[in-house]
Amino acid sequence: MIDFIDYLLGGISSGAIIALMALALVLVWRSTRVVNFAQLGQAMFTTYIALTVRELTGSWFLGLIIAMAAGLVVGVIVHFLVIRPVKRLDTSGAIIATFGVLIALEALAAMVWGGDPEAFPPPINNSGYEAFGRIWPFSPYDLLVLASVVFLVLALSVVFTRTNVGLAMRASAFNPEVARLSGVRVNRMLVRGWAIAGLVGAVAGVLVAPLSTLSPTSFDIFLVFAFVAAVIGGLDSLVGAVAFGIGTGLVIALVSGYSDSSNAPLVALVLLVLNLLFKPEGVFSHHKARAV
Amino acid sequence: MEALVQRFPGARLGVNAVTALVVWGLLTWVNQVIEPLMSYYLATAAMYATAMFGMTILLGLSGQVSLGNGALMAVGGYIFALTSMNWQTVPILGTPWNAVWSMVFAGFGGVVFGAAIGGIAARLRGPYLAGLTLGIAVGVPAIANRFPELLGGENGLMLQVPYPAGGYTSGDTSDEAVDDGGEVPLDEEPVYEELPDDFGDFDEEFTDEFGDELDSDPGDLSDEDLLTEDDLLSEDDFLSDDDFLTDEDFTTEDGFEAGIDEEIPEEDLLSEDDFLSEDDFLTDEDFTTEDGFEAGIDSDAGADLDAGLDGGSEASEGADITDPAADLDLAGVDAGLDAGFAIEQWQASMAIAVACVVGFIALNLVRGRQGRVWQAVRDDPIAAAVSGISPAGSKISAFVVSSLFAALAGAVFAQILTYVGPGAFTLGLSLSLLVGIVLGGRNSFIGAIIGAVILVWLPEFVLDVSADRGWQDQITNNAPNFIYGLLVVLVVLAAPGGIVGGIQSLAGRLRGQAKSSSSP
Repeated sequence: MIDFIDYLLGGISSGAIIALMALALVLVWRSTRVVNFAQLGQAMFTTYIALTVRELTGSWFLGLIIAMAAGLVVGVIVHFLVIRPVKRLDTSGAIIATFGVLIALEALAAMVWGGDPEAFPPPINNSGYEAFGRIWPFSPYDLLVLASVVFLVLALSVVFTRTNVGLAMRASAFNPEVARLSGVRVNRMLVRGWAIAGLVGAVAGVLVAPLSTLSPTSFDIFLVFAFVAAVIGGLDSLVGAVAFGIGTGLVIALVSGYSDSSNAPLVALVLLVLNLLFKPEGVFSHHKARAV
Repeated sequence: MEALVQRFPGARLGVNAVTALVVWGLLTWVNQVIEPLMSYYLATAAMYATAMFGMTILLGLSGQVSLGNGALMAVGGYIFALTSMNWQTVPILGTPWNAVWSMVFAGFGGVVFGAAIGGIAARLRGPYLAGLTLGIAVGVPAIANRFPELLGGENGLMLQVPYPAGGYTSGDTSDEAVDDGGEVPLDEEPVYEELPDDFGDFDEEFTDEFGDELDSDPGDLSDEDLLTEDDLLSEDDFLSDDDFLTDEDFTTEDGFEAGIDEEIPEEDLLSEDDFLSEDDFLTDEDFTTEDGFEAGIDSDAGADLDAGLDGGSEASEGADITDPAADLDLAGVDAGLDAGFAIEQWQASMAIAVACVVGFIALNLVRGRQGRVWQAVRDDPIAAAVSGISPAGSKISAFVVSSLFAALAGAVFAQILTYVGPGAFTLGLSLSLLVGIVLGGRNSFIGAIIGAVILVWLPEFVLDVSADRGWQDQITNNAPNFIYGLLVVLVVLAAPGGIVGGIQSLAGRLRGQAKSSSSP
């Protein structure tokens, strides 16, 4: 039982980060009906930028801020250079194009920073708290991660529910035609969706890097986890992405704890298959996933 | 041609067979005349093409974006490795095992996995399917870690290629092997490959360092010094598989050194007394034929042949072997000289044969009814369903066919690498297949072939450029992928039909211009 609690505690922060990544995928999907398979490639790239800034200035926080700005810029660039021109063609073209961006970004990162895994040490103590005579697998850094994620999610929900911009973005996602007729500049909203997704992804990247190492391909596995969480959550639903992001993180922590971490992708795959077979539209959405 | 085919329905089969045979003959001839290194590229390109014929059907004709084909190649590769390593006879049939059976079972495994994945995939569209297959590409190779005893874990499995004369068990693994005499048991086979190479090194080093001893008169030897029966090599004296360096030993320079150091205890090193005179050494001629080899052993192989080999390895330890491929090439060339062909040529002939068989099957499927069914479902599932076509069945069949091709390509890949492991079937492999088919042109088999050639050629081209410009390694190694990524985006934007589609539309435009200019 104490093992179970330990594994759950250890999974909370990675679950929170997967929630952010799933959130980024959902934000892009809502704005342009594209799953951005390059999302975590962009996050990997901005995390390298954060690492460089941190090495130059010694400030983790400055690295985070610059990574967020870079994520915003990269998201906008990818949207303008790739997605907007491709979207007119076909959906499979857009999917392939995002994979092209992923390949190019991973190779570019390896060219600039080298392909070897690099350590990205946590900014604060990452050893577990001590209480009741034992050490719990929950550290000050986990607390920082959790606080950052909660803050970001709350800020996003305020933007989406309490501001005019958020209302316009929701309108464009819900029905672009009607939104346009109502005077919403839909294209501008799409760009904002990509920008916010890039920013959220960048935060997730900087937060997740200390939990393992940073290499050009080290986020590939998180792409799978985030996709699983986003799809189970409904791909359309911000709440679903957050809930099932944390859920996916906890399941993975339990699987890794009781068996081996190499099983995690398989379990994620099983979750995805079960979801796609029995509730393909996702739990929080009535969106149609089956074509036939 | 179309008129002919319409009048005689069987003619289509004949045309496709002739096409495949002509391509096979042409490539086989090319394989005979080019260098072994080029044969290696040819083998790799043929392997990629085999897998990408399946991508043409899945992505081009059926319109499904799949990243799982690298994982399906892993299925084929692992089945090939496991069956060829563990099965002496074919179960149920009881006939002797050989590589062709391994290919058959690899293909069968591909069909089963393809049906399973296709069954799920047929219910999904666009991004859901891409995400699911992405998970498969990442998750399936991890299964190897789940069963380390059976599948070799992270290290993978080494397998023997049925080259040049041995088989896995029975010896008649392929036509080429039969031609060269298939009776030689497996254990001795590597000796054929490695001996001349190591001896060469040994001889050279030896002469440099101990020239005096070598020049000394063999007449000094007394009767006791002559070799007796006991001195002849027994089976045990031959190097067993374990004694050979495996690919793992070559991964890094350190790994290589460590491997050598472990293999050779101090006692095994040659003392001066152990040295044979120059005449005692086997020359290359002794190895040319099987009989020659036996004769060589019988006459004067020398007591310390194995010690000599060890010494040879020791001597070559100083040699700068950083690139396992380069070393493999060397061994291949030397052995190839003896056997009449290099291992790369054998691999290429096998890969070409598989690619042509697969291409023949693919042509028949695509040019026939099934091809039209796939396209109908891709373009309009509802209209297809109204016409009595099952859209789900069509999508599943596309998956099954592409999985079959991928699994066969995986079996070929396993033989080219003589290794299967999670490191060989990464997400990168799946992405390469996608890159190749998109660049070449996803709607035609020519596009698949062009894509395969690009995948093999571009890294070599970048290597050449980098050698000229003096780029750093980390740039050279990653530049091909960077270029692939950019090209994929560009092709999707500017020419969704890839190179073939681009050429077709260009030709169509030129023809249109010619027509309009000729008409008043």
